[in-house]
Amino acid sequence: MDSDDEIPELIHQEDQIPDLIPAAQDDPSLSKVPITIVTGYLGAGKTTLLNYILTEQHGKKIAVILNEFGDSIDIEKQLTVSDANTTEAKPIPFVPLANGCICCSVKDVGVAAIENLMEQRGKFDYILLETTGLADPGNIAPLFWLDDGLGSSIFLDGIVTLVDAKNVIKSLDEGFGDENATELKEQAGGHDGHGPLLTTAHLQISHADVIIVNKADLVSEEELQTVVDRIRSINGLARIETTTRSRVKQLEGWLLDLHAYDHVQDADLQFASKGHSHLDPVSRLFANTTSSLTIDQTISTITINFPPLETEQVDKFDQFLRSMLWEETLPATSTQPSFEIHRLKGRVPLHNGNILLVQGVRNVYEMNEQKGGQSPADDQAKLVLIGRGLDEPIFRESLLAALS
Amino acid sequence: MATNGTAPRKCMGKDCENEAGALQCPNCQKLGKDSFFCSQDCFKRSWAEHKKLHKSQSNILDKIFTPKVVSHPDPATGHFNPFPTFPFTGSLRPVYPLSAKREVPSHIKLPDYAKDGIPRSEQVFVNRNKISVLSAKEIEGMRKVCRLAREVLDIAARAAKPGVTTDYIDEVVHKACMERDSYPSPLNYCHFPKSVCTSPNEVICHGIPDQRVLQDGDILNIDVTLYHGGFHGDLNETYYIGEKASSNPDTVRVVETARECLDQAIQMVKPGVLFRDFGNVIEKHAKSRGCGVIKTYCGHGINQLFHCAPNVPHYAKNKAVGTAKPGVCFTIEPMISLGTHKDKTWPDDWTSVTQDGSLTAQFEHTLLVTEDGVEILTARLPDSPGGAVPMPETTT
Repeated sequence: MDSDDEIPELIHQEDQIPDLIPAAQDDPSLSKVPITIVTGYLGAGKTTLLNYILTEQHGKKIAVILNEFGDSIDIEKQLTVSDANTTEAKPIPFVPLANGCICCSVKDVGVAAIENLMEQRGKFDYILLETTGLADPGNIAPLFWLDDGLGSSIFLDGIVTLVDAKNVIKSLDEGFGDENATELKEQAGGHDGHGPLLTTAHLQISHADVIIVNKADLVSEEELQTVVDRIRSINGLARIETTTRSRVKQLEGWLLDLHAYDHVQDADLQFASKGHSHLDPVSRLFANTTSSLTIDQTISTITINFPPLETEQVDKFDQFLRSMLWEETLPATSTQPSFEIHRLKGRVPLHNGNILLVQGVRNVYEMNEQKGGQSPADDQAKLVLIGRGLDEPIFRESLLAALS
Repeated sequence: MATNGTAPRKCMGKDCENEAGALQCPNCQKLGKDSFFCSQDCFKRSWAEHKKLHKSQSNILDKIFTPKVVSHPDPATGHFNPFPTFPFTGSLRPVYPLSAKREVPSHIKLPDYAKDGIPRSEQVFVNRNKISVLSAKEIEGMRKVCRLAREVLDIAARAAKPGVTTDYIDEVVHKACMERDSYPSPLNYCHFPKSVCTSPNEVICHGIPDQRVLQDGDILNIDVTLYHGGFHGDLNETYYIGEKASSNPDTVRVVETARECLDQAIQMVKPGVLFRDFGNVIEKHAKSRGCGVIKTYCGHGINQLFHCAPNVPHYAKNKAVGTAKPGVCFTIEPMISLGTHKDKTWPDDWTSVTQDGSLTAQFEHTLLVTEDGVEILTARLPDSPGGAVPMPETTT
């Protein structure tokens, strides 16, 4: 090697002593790397957005993983990675992965692959996972929302969905851009087939924690407002940002550091319940007859408010969640609607002064009791649901009956 | 806490008798190697000689193309280690060559992956999370295959003695399956090369039977799954190999703790129990014995599919989905270690070992949820080998 042609200076060992590493590295919260899933149709601006992030000065080492999640589980072959601090974002071949069998491992191959990658190439500050245009984030999110007990080096920070302001309404109403979503058709096959259309756009919006309405410059202000209202009626929890050319004002809170799966902020739930007036059956009926279709017929957000719980009721509340999410059955009610839940968040104050925080995506949920932590607004328990076939009075009636 | 004693360091300088200070060669340091000198002068003097050490370590090509080193086969036996540069975590090494792929006669019904290694029926995305409830007829099928699987495991366990190879156990298992008109489910499942998983000592699971000879003092997990009549039956046990193993207190502690963890979890099984709750009991018991719970691998639903919903994690605080209902079949198979809960996989893409090389043990049953409790479909027979061993007397 060339470096051996010159005699180097000896160095002081003291200068080089690295920081001691604590023996027990079982507290992964200190060093977990957040991962954000970025979804959106082809042409919505995902690639522009990711390029923008990679070239923006943010002082972070961000890995972008382009992922062709299709209907196959054989995903690791199609993963590529680009690194941030080089200006060029060259994909590199993905690390070969041990044991592609997912069934006897609790970790999905994608998760294990990313952990592997970090082991080999050093830690990233942040990981962005770009899905294909027609990916259903509801299938991907549970893979990355890992149990704390697993001690993984990554955690799911949230889902960002890009929509094209010009085409999104068409996508929602007519399935525009959705022609190849076979998985969706299979899902819809179980349904009566006459209900309102469920498109990939619906799924990408309903599961999102942040929605970026891109190409805002291509539509009029009224059109943009219609788009935002329509999206808000689907997902009352998500933050919505309008942009042009995928230029997001600020990365933190919009793309990075979302903490959508570990925080349940009261403000978010308040926000969701404000949109509530749009969603009662009367206004929905009314919306049917008007031409300004800002209310979505397929997916909606509902907020159930109910009184704080006694400690003895916590188990009943958990039973309600299990029945609703695992069995897709509403307990203690005569009316049994056909429904599916995509996203769930809740804050439930207890009489003992603690608060239950509830998080869910599809049929996976988590409920944590936090000591103290009640805010002044927590005089009522709030459960926000996003999904299909959600009728607030029926869900509320079932929940109250289950709790009594 | 133990500290390292600091013996005086000798200067690496040529013909230098001095003690070295805190100065070290930066090039060596970059290579992760310690070489200390008493002074820059001494270092300078020794440079011509010293830098040869760098050459031997720093061939940049080595870093780009990992050399395909295969250790030289032992002239007497022809055995070799296929991954001589891999940083093994314990003393166990693979002993290759693997024996030839065992044949399955054409009259035996094959699972879908037997030909090309891909379990397509398990990879259907829609309804992947649906827990299937079996009919009375299907339950009969499960009873049958699980009973056969138990017989095969018992035959394998009787063969597991100091002096035999794990490949021999594979042969025994394969033959016993053929005699029972059954396909050995592991064979070619996701390209697994053998008919059974044999996991000695620090191997957590998925060990590949090879030419390694079992030693007195080893522990060995034998994980058998049969496919018969359209159903899979899956079980495993860990066995003490020789007197030395069953008289070593640490060995007995990890094996018996694993056995008890499974027993305690099974006691909970009845309609209404949540699949997420087994992990709490298993982890609590393991901790009380100073053992760790391996987290990467979990129990699973089993029926016409080898692995399906539900997922049954063995660690506490998990979000596993589902409630036990009559007619559901699943496995519980805790893997318990004497040390870390962390795993590492060998370059064979299967063998999972503890990262600290500590001993691990595992037990597994296929279970059927009944109207009022549980039926252990792979239950031990009156003459099954193995079984619990008392804690040896310790002399301290």
